Amino acid sequence: MDIIYSLIPPGILSQIFVGLSRTTILFIVASGLSLILGVLRIPNVAHGSLYMIGAFTAFTVTKIFGEGQAAFWMALIIAPLFVALISLIAERGMFQFLYEREHLMLLLLTFAFSLVFGDLVKLVWGGEYKSVPVPAIFQGFVPLFGGLPFPIYNIFLLVAGPVVAVLLWLLTNKTKIGKIARAAAVDREMVGAVGINVSWVFAIVFVIGCLLAGLGGVLVAPTVSVTLGMDHNLIIEAFLIVIMGGLGNIWGAMLGALIFGITQSLGILVWPQFGIVFPYLAVVVVLLFRPTGLLKSTW
Amino acid sequence: MRKNTLLFLIAGIILLLLFPVFLPRFYVYLLSIILLYGLLATSLNIVLGYGGIFQFHHAVFYGVGAYGTALMLTKTAMPAILAFIVGPLVASALGFILGIICIRLSKLYFGMLQISLGSLVWAIVYRWYSFTGGDDGIHGIPIPEMLSSYIGAYYYTLIITAVCIFLIFKIINSPFGSALQGIRDNPVRSEMIGINVKRHQILALTIAGFFAGVAGSLFVVVDNTVFPDMLFWTLSLEILIMCLLGGWFSFMGPMLGAGVIVALRTFVSTYTVYWALVLGVLMIFVIFFLPNGILGYFEERFKKVFMGSEIKE
Amino acid sequence: MLEVVGISKSFDGFKAVNNAHLSVEKGEIVAVIGPNGAGKTTLFNLITGIIKPDSGRVLFNNEDITGLPPYKICRKHISRSFQIVNVFQRLTVFENVQISILSREKKTWNLFSPSKSFVVKETETILENVGLINKKERITAFLSHGDRKVLEIAMALGGSPEFLILDEPTAGMAPEETSHCIELIKTLSKTMGLTILFCEHDMEIVFRIANRIMVMVRGSTVIQGSCNEVRCNEAVQNAYLGGSDVCLM
Repeated sequence: MDIIYSLIPPGILSQIFVGLSRTTILFIVASGLSLILGVLRIPNVAHGSLYMIGAFTAFTVTKIFGEGQAAFWMALIIAPLFVALISLIAERGMFQFLYEREHLMLLLLTFAFSLVFGDLVKLVWGGEYKSVPVPAIFQGFVPLFGGLPFPIYNIFLLVAGPVVAVLLWLLTNKTKIGKIARAAAVDREMVGAVGINVSWVFAIVFVIGCLLAGLGGVLVAPTVSVTLGMDHNLIIEAFLIVIMGGLGNIWGAMLGALIFGITQSLGILVWPQFGIVFPYLAVVVVLLFRPTGLLKSTW
Repeated sequence: MRKNTLLFLIAGIILLLLFPVFLPRFYVYLLSIILLYGLLATSLNIVLGYGGIFQFHHAVFYGVGAYGTALMLTKTAMPAILAFIVGPLVASALGFILGIICIRLSKLYFGMLQISLGSLVWAIVYRWYSFTGGDDGIHGIPIPEMLSSYIGAYYYTLIITAVCIFLIFKIINSPFGSALQGIRDNPVRSEMIGINVKRHQILALTIAGFFAGVAGSLFVVVDNTVFPDMLFWTLSLEILIMCLLGGWFSFMGPMLGAGVIVALRTFVSTYTVYWALVLGVLMIFVIFFLPNGILGYFEERFKKVFMGSEIKE
Repeated sequence: MLEVVGISKSFDGFKAVNNAHLSVEKGEIVAVIGPNGAGKTTLFNLITGIIKPDSGRVLFNNEDITGLPPYKICRKHISRSFQIVNVFQRLTVFENVQISILSREKKTWNLFSPSKSFVVKETETILENVGLINKKERITAFLSHGDRKVLEIAMALGGSPEFLILDEPTAGMAPEETSHCIELIKTLSKTMGLTILFCEHDMEIVFRIANRIMVMVRGSTVIQGSCNEVRCNEAVQNAYLGGSDVCLM
């Protein structure tokens, strides 16, 4: 450990890991985006709005359950399901009719939804800042990195990311629906010809992807102030991560999120004002060498 | 037919020239905004409707053109005319650079990378407080006296917009425009008949960036301000909707779309703060029921009549 | 004129083209035949630069053109048509051919002159030659399949090629369209002196127009020779023609 500390001071190391814990949230959101992109080829701009709805729902649920021990866990279950329900309605009611049309139309439809969702959030929750308490068992700090206090909730986040990744991998590689979805991503007509209802496969993939956005929203809620406009930057960051990693590749999304997190936290250390520039530069560098992303882009 | 179009055009121009005489100040201002947004949407349509390139973040060039002009006017003592040229040129250079970086990627990837890199430009403008004024932007930009009245600004906007629209029309109908439309319809085929697809696309992006920059410099004249929201990605998608609503396979479609949306926004905003909701619902309606836009819808009907008669012959 | 030497290309481990050879002399009409998935279209894509080979070389007039981008290959006066119709859907028939000529004349960088005034005569001549002149103002998307296939050839001619590659030129055509197309190909070869390489499923058509035939199976060249040589080759009969009595025809 001491050797590492001599290279990187523990304060900075601690800061980097806090940054990384935030990127696990980005990873969860981006993996949902990537899933939808990989199978349905929709660049879902509304993804950020669903993330925001997830965070606001978490606020309401924790309010209802009196901010007790169970409140956060209820939010963790209810909010993503609520988001999934919304996306299911949107998919069955609108998106499914446009799959044959140009991608531009689908993009614009997702944009329309992001506008509508944004204003609906404003209508329901108002424009004030909301805060969601950190659940009791994750409150406080543990001494890490040369004894510096490290927030427990961020450790929870650091664990949550890989867990979601493994679950997603199992879902896409070991279950029937996952295998069908992967086949449909490559050749839609073929899967349809075998007698599988592709339309419902797409719906399920879409809903799972959106559910991940909601989950990300819940997880981020205790660490930030929940507010309107929190979706705007997130969606761009998620785009970057997906582009870097390769469309539709979950491990790519993880790799992309890691690169994004590391370059950003290092960047802010080096040059506080323009630290945010570094992840973008990383994307440009990656694409110069691998125009379709780091990992194989379609399954 | 041709004579009619000409008459329409002349009547339209006379009407546009006369508006400030009898319209109150607010409407003249609104008209200026519509014109410059129309130019912005038309410039996007060079690459979108005619080039088939998914330029998802066009507002960046508009914003950079505006900031370029504004910074030249406020920070240097150079003649104002230079500022109105440099702004668009900077936007055009940015279009060229982003084009080179993004064009290697396929359609959807291109759009996503473009939206991301455009956001980088936004972030820089937003953060660089000492240079760009950060989230406040720049206010009270000194405008040459001739253009500083609202009527002067209107006429300036009208003339520049008209000239630019004419130039864009020429470009679309030039051999380059034909090649661009060929590339839109079928890049593989275009390459196979000897067209260097990427270079043509990059030139188109550069041109589109230039005219977007002109629109930005017009905004500086009309509003005397610039602010970072001018290059936020939501505006880009709003411009996309203008093209879609008016009809992105019709030359004047984006202009019409810009008119409808800017006017609607102005009136809706006086009644409610939920303009985004209205716009979103409108968009959904257009996507489902008017996929070729307003002009596209009428052209299609016209074409059906035309095709029908041809088949009868 | 064209020499393909030991060219190979694999996708994800699947060898689409495996050490294929082909030679075409000036003025010849050469057919490539082979069962579905034999790699004919891939071979054409390799020659025209749409995909780059893993190994092997393509020589045109003794010049190495391996791996050049398609637009550069086109400028060496090699043109092609596609199996799946590949035209400019939203433009008129006239414009489709015109763009091809504009591109050859390197006029596509001209930004401000109306394109209406360029190369009108030549475009109309080509349309006349292929028999589409009556439909020149039609939007391509509204054309019949057969007309679009012919338009493909017309576009290829716009590059004033010396060497023409046709990927299943008559696929999906009605009988009378097919015979029109065959006549067209023959005329192009005879009157304009074009060298033609094509692939085709219909054996009757192949034997009617081709001077020589190359047989491809699973990505490799089985034989290249005159129609008779190919007919009587045992390997071909086993792999493709499917009966030994074909030789007697």
